[in-house]
Amino acid sequence: MIISGFTKTYDGRCVLDFPRMEISDGSICSVVGTNGSGKTTMAKILAGIEKPDSGIRPVELNAGYMPQRSFAFRMSVLKNIMLNGDDSERAKLLYEKMGLTALLNKNAKNLSGGETARMALCRLLMKDYDLLILDEPTAAMDIEATTESETLIKEYRDKTGCTVFIVSHSLQQAKRISDEVLFLHEGRPAERCRTEGLNAPKTEEFRRFLEFYGV
Amino acid sequence: MHTALEKAIELIASGDAELLNILNVTAIMTLSSSVIALLIGVPLGVFLGASQFPGRKALIVINRTLMGMPPVVCGLIFYILFSGVGPFRATHLLFTVRIMIIAQVVLITPIVAGTMESYVEGIRFSVRETAKGLGISRIKSFFLLCNECVYQVFSSYLLGFSRSIAEVGCVAMVGGAISWKTNVMTTAIMEYTNKGSFSIGIALGIILLSIALLINILLSIIQRRASR
Ligand SMILES: Nc1ncnc2c1ncn2[C@@H]1O[C@H](COP(=O)(O)OP(=O)(O)OP(=O)(O)O)[C@@H](O)[C@H]1O
Ligand SMILES: [Mg+2]
Repeated sequence: MIISGFTKTYDGRCVLDFPRMEISDGSICSVVGTNGSGKTTMAKILAGIEKPDSGIRPVELNAGYMPQRSFAFRMSVLKNIMLNGDDSERAKLLYEKMGLTALLNKNAKNLSGGETARMALCRLLMKDYDLLILDEPTAAMDIEATTESETLIKEYRDKTGCTVFIVSHSLQQAKRISDEVLFLHEGRPAERCRTEGLNAPKTEEFRRFLEFYGV
Repeated sequence: MHTALEKAIELIASGDAELLNILNVTAIMTLSSSVIALLIGVPLGVFLGASQFPGRKALIVINRTLMGMPPVVCGLIFYILFSGVGPFRATHLLFTVRIMIIAQVVLITPIVAGTMESYVEGIRFSVRETAKGLGISRIKSFFLLCNECVYQVFSSYLLGFSRSIAEVGCVAMVGGAISWKTNVMTTAIMEYTNKGSFSIGIALGIILLSIALLINILLSIIQRRASR
């Protein structure tokens, strides 16, 4: 897939300056970077939630997007999941995997942060998208749910062949799940590498970033 | 004081005719004005909160100003418009229950609309982001937004209702507090206190406070239900 170059300006400040980029179809790409480096902005624009300065979405793909803070609609957990498709078999596979079976009839508004994130992931994976964009999907989850999520995401990719972007603050996660890593620094993709290349950073910023993680 | 309270309880217990008339007029006025305000205010508030058009911010500021409009000012405007020198004098509405309802609708609708608007404003981005991220159609996502507002509609209504029933300045001006015709609880309390007969005032005060208590109990139940 091809992302055409774009910029995004908030209140007169350019927070994202993204060049044209090619990503091989069906790959999983982790997006990493410090707070405020523009990861969420990038995710929202690729997903078509926000418009870049030009007003034209840089990719023309049917995208599914999980926001950094997931929203639970005022209805049961099961209804929330089934909002996005009526295949109950598919729903069952997902919520059983994510350990939501006991919570299905609960009002989704009362879920804990991690439970809400698990529900939101199930809900999103109910449909087939060409492009999946997940903004820190496991940030609120415990280790078990994180592992299950990663498995689900990989299975989803294998089944649908879609391209996946995962914003993450965990390099361990990036290593476990992704084919390549995109490092955003002050609103620019400063470095892009295969996951195996994480131990050989080319830019100074990325080297310092990796140092914090003890890589 | 002691005997006034005793007499007040007696009035309530015996179902005093004038007291009943006052309660009846109050009920007609308050229920009509609050329901009309609900029917106008909720769609208006949701529209203001959820839409995006030039001038929206200005409308919100105007509405918030109207929310805080002193009732006597509202009464004054309607008094001037419908009095013998006003443009609407031919309607002969001044000092009727109908004009009290109309004036109260003007007073309360901004409150219903404003509370709805700020609630919708608070959730619209999350709802839109989540629904759009799933690829849900605009219409369905609007219904989802409305579904989020159900309990807010109740509390906005009760807010309008309690403003209506407790308000005195506006209805006194346009209604004239005429006994057996336009006298409502609040204006009657003023009137009878001025005459020095406290008992009916106290009786009405007890009823008003009981209604306020009831409304607050309802509100807290709604809030509890909303979070379950
Ligand atoms: N709606 C907005 N209005 C103004 N500025 C914004 C807006 N959204 C984001 N920004 C700014 O854009 C920059 C990038 O924000 P973004 O949310 O993309 O960061 P991030 O990389 O996702 O950070 P985090 O790791 O904290 O999630 C930040 O400096 C932020 O303050
Ligand atoms: Mg972010």
